[in-house]
Amino acid sequence: MGMAVGHHGTSMSEPNIVPLIDVLLVLIIIFMAITPTTPTGMDTLVPQPPPKKQQPQPLINKTVVVVVSADGKVMINQTPTSWNDLGPQLADIFKIRADKTAFVKGDDDAEFTYVARAIDIMRGSGITNVGLITAKMEAGQ
Amino acid sequence: MAAPNVIPMADIMLVLLIIMMVVTPMLQKGVQVDMASAKNWENMPNADKDDAIIVAVSHDGHYYLGNQDIALDQITSTVKDRIANRLDKEVYVRSDERAKYGDVKKVVDAVRDAGVDNLGLLTLKDETGPTQPPPPVPGGVNPGTP
Repeated sequence: MGMAVGHHGTSMSEPNIVPLIDVLLVLIIIFMAITPTTPTGMDTLVPQPPPKKQQPQPLINKTVVVVVSADGKVMINQTPTSWNDLGPQLADIFKIRADKTAFVKGDDDAEFTYVARAIDIMRGSGITNVGLITAKMEAGQ
Repeated sequence: MAAPNVIPMADIMLVLLIIMMVVTPMLQKGVQVDMASAKNWENMPNADKDDAIIVAVSHDGHYYLGNQDIALDQITSTVKDRIANRLDKEVYVRSDERAKYGDVKKVVDAVRDAGVDNLGLLTLKDETGPTQPPPPVPGGVNPGTP
Protein backbone atom coordinates (compact mmCIF):
# COMPACT_ATOMS: atom_id res chain seq x y z
CA MET A 1 0.00 0.00 0.00
CA GLY A 2 2.80 2.40 0.82
CA MET A 3 4.22 1.82 -2.59
CA ALA A 4 1.03 2.87 -4.23
CA VAL A 5 0.97 6.10 -2.25
CA GLY A 6 4.59 6.92 -3.16
CA HIS A 7 3.84 6.38 -6.80
CA HIS A 8 0.94 8.71 -6.76
CA GLY A 9 1.67 12.40 -6.34
CA THR A 10 5.17 13.04 -5.05
CA SER A 11 7.77 15.20 -6.70
CA MET A 12 9.59 12.01 -7.85
CA SER A 13 8.65 12.52 -11.52
CA GLU A 14 10.44 10.66 -14.32
CA PRO A 15 13.28 12.66 -15.87
CA ASN A 16 12.62 13.73 -19.42
CA ILE A 17 15.29 11.87 -21.37
CA VAL A 18 14.02 12.70 -24.85
CA PRO A 19 16.24 15.79 -25.37
CA LEU A 20 19.20 13.79 -24.13
CA ILE A 21 18.52 11.09 -26.68
CA ASP A 22 18.19 13.72 -29.39
CA VAL A 23 21.57 15.17 -28.58
CA LEU A 24 23.22 11.77 -28.39
CA LEU A 25 21.76 10.71 -31.71
CA VAL A 26 23.08 13.83 -33.40
CA LEU A 27 26.48 13.18 -31.85
CA ILE A 28 26.48 9.61 -33.12
CA ILE A 29 25.55 10.72 -36.63
CA ILE A 30 28.27 13.38 -36.66
CA PHE A 31 30.92 10.98 -35.47
CA MET A 32 29.87 8.41 -38.02
CA ALA A 33 30.23 10.99 -40.74
CA ILE A 34 33.72 12.02 -39.73
CA THR A 35 35.18 8.63 -38.93
CA PRO A 36 38.91 9.07 -38.66
CA THR A 37 39.93 8.10 -42.15
CA THR A 38 43.51 6.98 -42.10
CA PRO A 39 45.19 8.11 -45.28
CA THR A 40 45.92 5.27 -47.61
CA GLY A 41 48.26 5.10 -50.51
CA MET A 42 50.87 3.21 -52.41
CA ASP A 43 54.52 3.25 -51.49
CA THR A 44 56.90 3.94 -54.33
CA LEU A 45 60.61 4.46 -54.65
CA VAL A 46 62.55 7.14 -56.44
CA PRO A 47 66.12 5.86 -56.56
CA GLN A 48 68.74 8.49 -55.95
CA PRO A 49 71.44 8.95 -58.56
CA PRO A 50 74.58 6.95 -57.83
CA PRO A 51 77.59 8.85 -56.46
CA LYS A 52 79.47 10.76 -59.10
CA LYS A 53 82.64 8.66 -59.04
CA GLN A 54 80.79 5.43 -59.41
CA GLN A 55 80.26 4.18 -62.90
CA PRO A 56 76.57 4.39 -63.73
CA GLN A 57 75.10 0.96 -63.48
CA PRO A 58 73.92 -0.30 -66.81
CA LEU A 59 70.24 -1.03 -66.72
CA ILE A 60 70.05 -4.75 -66.36
CA ASN A 61 68.17 -6.17 -69.28
CA LYS A 62 65.92 -8.10 -66.97
CA THR A 63 64.50 -4.90 -65.53
CA VAL A 64 60.78 -4.65 -66.01
CA VAL A 65 59.41 -1.26 -66.94
CA VAL A 66 55.70 -0.76 -67.24
CA VAL A 67 55.11 2.03 -69.71
CA VAL A 68 51.89 4.03 -69.76
CA SER A 69 51.42 5.95 -72.97
CA ALA A 70 49.62 9.24 -73.48
CA ASP A 71 46.46 7.61 -74.77
CA GLY A 72 46.23 5.32 -71.79
CA LYS A 73 47.73 2.19 -73.33
CA VAL A 74 50.10 0.06 -71.37
CA MET A 75 53.27 -1.81 -72.29
CA ILE A 76 55.64 -4.11 -70.46
CA ASN A 77 59.05 -2.98 -71.62
CA GLN A 78 58.41 -2.80 -75.38
CA THR A 79 55.57 -5.27 -75.56
CA PRO A 80 52.10 -3.80 -75.79
CA THR A 81 49.58 -5.41 -73.52
CA SER A 82 46.11 -4.69 -72.25
CA TRP A 83 45.06 -3.60 -68.80
CA ASN A 84 43.40 -6.90 -68.17
CA ASP A 85 46.48 -8.92 -69.09
CA LEU A 86 48.96 -6.70 -67.31
CA GLY A 87 48.44 -8.25 -63.91
CA PRO A 88 48.70 -11.92 -64.93
CA GLN A 89 51.69 -11.22 -67.17
CA LEU A 90 53.55 -9.43 -64.41
CA ALA A 91 52.67 -12.14 -61.94
CA ASP A 92 54.10 -14.64 -64.43
CA ILE A 93 57.34 -12.73 -64.80
CA PHE A 94 57.83 -12.20 -61.09
CA LYS A 95 56.80 -15.66 -59.97
CA ILE A 96 60.35 -16.95 -60.34
CA ARG A 97 62.19 -13.79 -59.37
CA ALA A 98 63.51 -13.00 -55.95
CA ASP A 99 63.89 -9.31 -56.60
CA LYS A 100 60.37 -7.95 -56.75
CA THR A 101 61.30 -4.63 -58.26
CA ALA A 102 59.80 -3.02 -61.31
CA PHE A 103 59.56 0.48 -62.67
CA VAL A 104 56.82 2.65 -64.02
CA LYS A 105 57.31 5.11 -66.79
CA GLY A 106 54.46 7.30 -67.86
CA ASP A 107 54.08 9.70 -70.71
CA ASP A 108 53.85 13.35 -69.73
CA ASP A 109 50.40 13.60 -71.22
CA ALA A 110 49.03 10.48 -69.60
CA GLU A 111 46.44 11.04 -66.93
CA PHE A 112 47.64 10.24 -63.44
CA THR A 113 44.79 7.83 -62.92
CA TYR A 114 46.28 5.46 -65.53
CA VAL A 115 49.65 5.51 -63.86
CA ALA A 116 48.06 4.97 -60.47
CA ARG A 117 46.17 2.05 -61.95
CA ALA A 118 49.36 0.59 -63.36
CA ILE A 119 51.08 0.86 -59.99
CA ASP A 120 48.02 -0.65 -58.36
CA ILE A 121 48.12 -3.64 -60.70
CA MET A 122 51.86 -4.04 -60.20
CA ARG A 123 51.44 -4.12 -56.45
CA GLY A 124 48.63 -6.59 -56.89
CA SER A 125 50.83 -8.95 -58.86
CA GLY A 126 53.47 -9.30 -56.21
CA ILE A 127 55.84 -6.45 -56.96
CA THR A 128 56.83 -4.94 -53.66
CA ASN A 129 59.18 -2.24 -54.88
CA VAL A 130 57.70 0.03 -57.48
CA GLY A 131 60.11 2.62 -58.79
CA LEU A 132 59.10 5.76 -60.60
CA ILE A 133 61.13 6.71 -63.64
CA THR A 134 61.28 10.45 -64.09
CA ALA A 135 62.76 12.72 -66.69
CA LYS A 136 65.86 13.49 -64.65
CA MET A 137 66.39 9.86 -63.87
CA GLU A 138 66.35 9.01 -67.55
CA ALA A 139 68.89 11.75 -68.14
CA GLY A 140 71.09 10.01 -65.60
CA GLN A 141 71.16 12.85 -63.07
CA MET B 1 -2.00 27.85 -27.23
CA ALA B 2 0.90 25.75 -26.09
CA ALA B 3 4.28 27.38 -26.60
CA PRO B 4 6.62 25.02 -28.48
CA ASN B 5 9.43 23.72 -26.35
CA VAL B 6 12.56 25.10 -28.01
CA ILE B 7 15.03 24.02 -25.36
CA PRO B 8 15.83 20.59 -26.93
CA MET B 9 16.29 22.26 -30.30
CA ALA B 10 18.62 24.80 -28.79
CA ASP B 11 20.56 21.95 -27.19
CA ILE B 12 21.00 20.23 -30.51
CA MET B 13 21.97 23.43 -32.29
CA LEU B 14 24.57 24.22 -29.66
CA VAL B 15 26.07 20.76 -29.94
CA LEU B 16 26.12 21.06 -33.73
CA LEU B 17 27.82 24.42 -33.46
CA ILE B 18 30.50 23.07 -31.15
CA ILE B 19 31.12 20.04 -33.37
CA MET B 20 31.39 22.20 -36.45
CA MET B 21 33.88 24.45 -34.70
CA VAL B 22 35.99 21.45 -33.84
CA VAL B 23 35.73 19.77 -37.21
CA THR B 24 36.24 22.72 -39.55
CA PRO B 25 40.00 23.05 -39.04
CA MET B 26 40.40 19.34 -39.64
CA LEU B 27 38.60 19.49 -42.94
CA GLN B 28 40.89 22.16 -44.27
CA LYS B 29 43.90 19.90 -44.13
CA GLY B 30 45.30 20.02 -47.62
CA VAL B 31 43.58 21.14 -50.74
CA GLN B 32 40.68 19.41 -52.37
CA VAL B 33 41.79 16.92 -55.00
CA ASP B 34 40.01 13.90 -56.40
CA MET B 35 42.49 11.17 -55.69
CA ALA B 36 42.70 8.05 -57.76
CA SER B 37 41.53 4.91 -56.04
CA ALA B 38 43.62 1.80 -55.65
CA LYS B 39 42.82 -1.74 -54.67
CA ASN B 40 46.27 -2.56 -53.36
CA TRP B 41 46.51 0.32 -50.94
CA GLU B 42 48.24 0.34 -47.62
CA ASN B 43 47.62 2.46 -44.59
CA MET B 44 49.78 5.53 -44.35
CA PRO B 45 49.14 6.79 -40.86
CA ASN B 46 52.19 9.02 -41.01
CA ALA B 47 50.56 11.09 -43.72
CA ASP B 48 48.01 12.16 -41.13
CA LYS B 49 50.60 13.61 -38.78
CA ASP B 50 50.91 17.35 -38.44
CA ASP B 51 54.44 17.44 -39.78
CA ALA B 52 53.81 15.20 -42.78
CA ILE B 53 55.05 16.64 -46.04
CA ILE B 54 52.26 16.33 -48.55
CA VAL B 55 52.60 17.77 -52.00
CA ALA B 56 49.31 18.04 -53.81
CA VAL B 57 48.97 18.25 -57.56
CA SER B 58 45.71 19.67 -58.80
CA HIS B 59 44.18 18.67 -62.10
CA ASP B 60 45.16 21.98 -63.67
CA GLY B 61 48.80 21.52 -62.76
CA HIS B 62 49.08 23.65 -59.64
CA TYR B 63 51.20 22.48 -56.76
CA TYR B 64 50.42 22.79 -53.10
CA LEU B 65 52.56 21.99 -50.12
CA GLY B 66 50.09 21.22 -47.37
CA ASN B 67 47.42 23.71 -48.28
CA GLN B 68 49.70 26.39 -49.53
CA ASP B 69 50.29 27.17 -53.13
CA ILE B 70 53.91 26.51 -54.06
CA ALA B 71 55.94 27.02 -57.19
CA LEU B 72 57.68 24.02 -58.67
CA ASP B 73 61.15 25.45 -58.17
CA GLN B 74 60.43 26.08 -54.48
CA ILE B 75 59.53 22.49 -53.72
CA THR B 76 63.06 21.11 -53.62
CA SER B 77 64.43 23.69 -51.18
CA THR B 78 61.35 23.70 -48.96
CA VAL B 79 61.20 19.93 -48.72
CA LYS B 80 64.94 19.78 -48.08
CA ASP B 81 64.54 22.21 -45.18
CA ARG B 82 61.69 20.31 -43.70
CA ILE B 83 63.23 16.85 -43.83
CA ALA B 84 66.64 18.03 -42.65
CA ASN B 85 66.23 16.82 -39.07
CA ARG B 86 64.08 13.85 -39.72
CA LEU B 87 64.65 10.15 -39.71
CA ASP B 88 61.80 9.15 -41.96
CA LYS B 89 62.38 11.04 -45.14
CA GLU B 90 59.09 10.16 -46.68
CA VAL B 91 57.13 12.60 -48.76
CA TYR B 92 53.55 12.10 -49.83
CA VAL B 93 52.05 13.08 -53.13
CA ARG B 94 48.32 13.69 -53.36
CA SER B 95 47.60 13.91 -57.02
CA ASP B 96 44.33 14.52 -58.69
CA GLU B 97 43.44 11.56 -60.86
CA ARG B 98 42.97 13.87 -63.83
CA ALA B 99 46.35 15.53 -63.39
CA LYS B 100 48.83 15.05 -66.15
CA TYR B 101 51.48 12.57 -65.19
CA GLY B 102 54.05 15.01 -66.51
CA ASP B 103 53.14 17.40 -63.68
CA VAL B 104 53.39 14.60 -61.16
CA LYS B 105 56.77 13.60 -62.57
CA LYS B 106 58.06 17.12 -62.05
CA VAL B 107 57.09 16.91 -58.41
CA VAL B 108 58.74 13.51 -58.11
CA ASP B 109 61.90 14.94 -59.62
CA ALA B 110 61.84 17.97 -57.33
CA VAL B 111 61.31 15.80 -54.28
CA ARG B 112 64.00 13.39 -55.41
CA ASP B 113 66.44 16.28 -55.71
CA ALA B 114 65.74 17.06 -52.08
CA GLY B 115 67.13 13.65 -51.17
CA VAL B 116 63.91 11.75 -50.70
CA ASP B 117 63.76 8.25 -52.03
CA ASN B 118 60.55 7.04 -50.49
CA LEU B 119 57.44 8.47 -51.97
CA GLY B 120 53.89 7.71 -50.94
CA LEU B 121 51.27 8.18 -53.57
CA LEU B 122 48.11 8.85 -51.63
CA THR B 123 45.04 7.18 -53.04
CA LEU B 124 41.55 6.32 -51.97
CA LYS B 125 40.58 2.85 -50.92
CA ASP B 126 38.87 0.83 -53.57
CA GLU B 127 37.37 -2.10 -51.76
CA THR B 128 35.13 -3.39 -54.47
CA GLY B 129 35.62 -6.37 -56.71
CA PRO B 130 38.61 -8.65 -57.24
CA THR B 131 42.21 -7.89 -56.44
CA GLN B 132 42.99 -7.12 -60.04
CA PRO B 133 41.57 -3.71 -60.81
CA PRO B 134 39.67 -3.34 -64.04
CA PRO B 135 40.96 -1.01 -66.69
CA PRO B 136 40.17 2.62 -65.99
CA VAL B 137 37.39 4.11 -68.04
CA PRO B 138 37.35 7.87 -67.48
CA GLY B 139 35.56 9.82 -70.14
CA GLY B 140 34.03 6.70 -71.59
CA VAL B 141 37.20 5.74 -73.42
CA ASN B 142 38.33 2.28 -72.55
CA PRO B 143 42.03 2.01 -73.22
CA GLY B 144 42.03 -1.67 -72.35
CA THR B 145 40.23 -2.71 -75.49
CA PRO B 146 42.45 -3.06 -78.50
